[in-house]
Amino acid sequence: MNRTVLGLLGLVTFGGLLEVAPRVGLVPAQYAPPSSRIAAALAEQARQPQFWAALGDTVQTWLTGLAIAVAAGLAVGVLLGAVPMLWSVTATTVEFLRPIPSVALIPLVVVLYGSTIRATVVLVVYAAFWQVLLQVLHGVADVDPVARDTARVYRLGRWARLRYLVWPSALPYVVTGVRLAASVALILAVTGSLIVGSPGLGKEIEVARQSGAAPAVYALVVVTGLLGVVANVATRAIERRVLAWHTAVRTEVGA
Amino acid sequence: MLEVSGLRKVYDSHGRRVEAIGDLTFTVPDGSLTCVVGPSGCGKTTLLRCIAGLLQPTAGEVRVQGSLVSGPPAGLAVVFQEYGRSLFHWLRVRENVELPLKAARMPKSRRGELVADALDAVGLADAHSAYPWQLSGGMQQRVAIARAIAYQPKVLLMDEPFAAVDAQTRADLEDLIREVWRRLGVTLLFVTHDIDEAVYLGERVIVLSASPTRVADDLPIDLPDLRDQLTTRADPRFTELRGRVYAQIQKAKAERTPT
Amino acid sequence: MTFVRRIILAVALPITLLGLWWFASEGSTNYLWPPLSRILTAFGDTWTAERLRADVVPSLTRLAAGYGLAVIAGIALGVLIGGAPRVRAFTEPVLEFMRAIPPPVLVPIIMLVLGLGDTMKIVVIASGCVWPILLNTVEGVRGRDEVLDDTCRTYGIRGGLRVRHLVLRAASPQILTGARQALSIAIILMVISELFAAENGLGFTVMQFSRGFQIPEMWSGVFLLGLIGVALAAVYRLVEAWLLRWYHGQRLSRREW
Repeated sequence: MNRTVLGLLGLVTFGGLLEVAPRVGLVPAQYAPPSSRIAAALAEQARQPQFWAALGDTVQTWLTGLAIAVAAGLAVGVLLGAVPMLWSVTATTVEFLRPIPSVALIPLVVVLYGSTIRATVVLVVYAAFWQVLLQVLHGVADVDPVARDTARVYRLGRWARLRYLVWPSALPYVVTGVRLAASVALILAVTGSLIVGSPGLGKEIEVARQSGAAPAVYALVVVTGLLGVVANVATRAIERRVLAWHTAVRTEVGA
Repeated sequence: MLEVSGLRKVYDSHGRRVEAIGDLTFTVPDGSLTCVVGPSGCGKTTLLRCIAGLLQPTAGEVRVQGSLVSGPPAGLAVVFQEYGRSLFHWLRVRENVELPLKAARMPKSRRGELVADALDAVGLADAHSAYPWQLSGGMQQRVAIARAIAYQPKVLLMDEPFAAVDAQTRADLEDLIREVWRRLGVTLLFVTHDIDEAVYLGERVIVLSASPTRVADDLPIDLPDLRDQLTTRADPRFTELRGRVYAQIQKAKAERTPT
Repeated sequence: MTFVRRIILAVALPITLLGLWWFASEGSTNYLWPPLSRILTAFGDTWTAERLRADVVPSLTRLAAGYGLAVIAGIALGVLIGGAPRVRAFTEPVLEFMRAIPPPVLVPIIMLVLGLGDTMKIVVIASGCVWPILLNTVEGVRGRDEVLDDTCRTYGIRGGLRVRHLVLRAASPQILTGARQALSIAIILMVISELFAAENGLGFTVMQFSRGFQIPEMWSGVFLLGLIGVALAAVYRLVEAWLLRWYHGQRLSRREW
């Protein structure tokens, strides 16, 4: 039995379990509706313009934040990597700021921007930026020493080195960074909407929860999951395309 | 005693059938040192893996000490070419050598003895508390050999063990192997692509043909028992034997069916 | 580079930034950006030993419980799934879907089923952290070296020893990558799980400050969250360095030439 078939079977089994468990009473049906009811709620949502507006808001937040984060991450990363002196000065600051959880900013952002999309975008940018930065830094640092020596022997200038040595070497890392950042950015976009209350899928989920509409909550959660899967698949495909020519497909550096 | 009869192995790779081994039949008597050489791609590693029970042949059989091999048999040790990948880098050298003995539930004191003796035999008594990644390639391979020794096998298989090591280290390791072999009295099957090495080490050299692989030649090596890198390799008989093996391999390469 | 020079380089920028912040905010009347001096005073006033015990300790305890649960479950399941190609193919789409759901979004669902309380919070944390650990373990187990596998088969290394060495330790670099990601998620979920309904906790307290517009106190809470994040990251690094010293040594030696 090949992989695709097995996988599909797995999905079907999962859906089946979710259908049966509440009906049989394994989980309280009131709070964990069977998958058929969730599917119905999903269809119901799709009929409402409000849902599509929220989806659009979330996607907009996600992509805006991601774009800013990638641009900033690349710029800062290349700068820090290219000028060794800069890195040795900023290293401790970066290492200190990096693990600060994005949730720490939530109270701040709420006070500053209220429940607007801008608030969530700030969260998205903050979280995604570090992903990109980290990968870019590793990419710039990971230049093959033999290649670097070769460039020096042949007296390649700084610009030439950047173009022929650093950039190709860093590219896989950059692409991985964008992929990781995209995933984090989406999570923060939805989370921000959920907690801060800015327009988006998260807010819809909270509204549904407060009105006790359990199937709707689950349906919306399924949508966020699907969105995430689409995002992962898309970024992985892009990654594969860009790296197709790269001889060694490097594993991602631990975040 | 190692018996290979009618061994055949066919792979299905990327939709093509590759006949790695056509028909191999030979016997390796107890306690002998037999070398196997052949042109590249002639399935030497496949042969070794079939004998080691790591691979199921398509046809034919392998018998070790009279019993049919269907999985890795007891009393058989293998030294792989990729020493870096066959050692456990999170274990110290002595722990690496000890691991198979631990798996065999040998009492601790006995394990300690065997490990110490084995490390001594390969000249690594001082390195017992180092980690493999701290050692050079040649030393790592010695650890793998020590592990095989401590295991006290009846049969020792070596799959191009010195291919990834520099020439000077290789010479040292070749001599080490002959010494280890004589001390332990194991049946040693040594696979290599290096003709000189095969003639230098072996009591007998089996030359494989190109794919579909068969035994192309089987020569006894009548060089003196006490071998040494300088004198043995300068011996005219060495050159003769070497020449003969070389010619066989050239012939095998010429006959190779285009794949 | 001398020791002194290294220290100077390390602290130069942080101190400069802090100094700039201090002076720039000193005369601030904007209530959203209080002077740094006030924030620091508020820090001392707010986070007394008593409040630490009443709020921070419960939060961290729940964090530890949820994280620990995720580590055990993630590794155990990961080993089972990673070792069997069929099981992997079977579960892969479902796992990919589950891991794509933003963990905070599961909070409302878990709240529906488990109500409000410590169990809910621990389950929330565990449910979010488990995915990176699980998926990385599967990857690590799957990608084990064939030569090492052959070695184990040849030398009869089976059962417990095999799982311990061939499966777990060989996959440990990958597993620890997952554990690091899980740690970030755990901290986030620790805070979020308290934002909805809680009687105590770090996230709860800071959010209260935010809602009550007690800005300097809120900032001090943000600081504390940041410090906790940094401290946990440092602890993680120590643990990782100890567990993986063989791996780092191996990689370094390979790069040497």
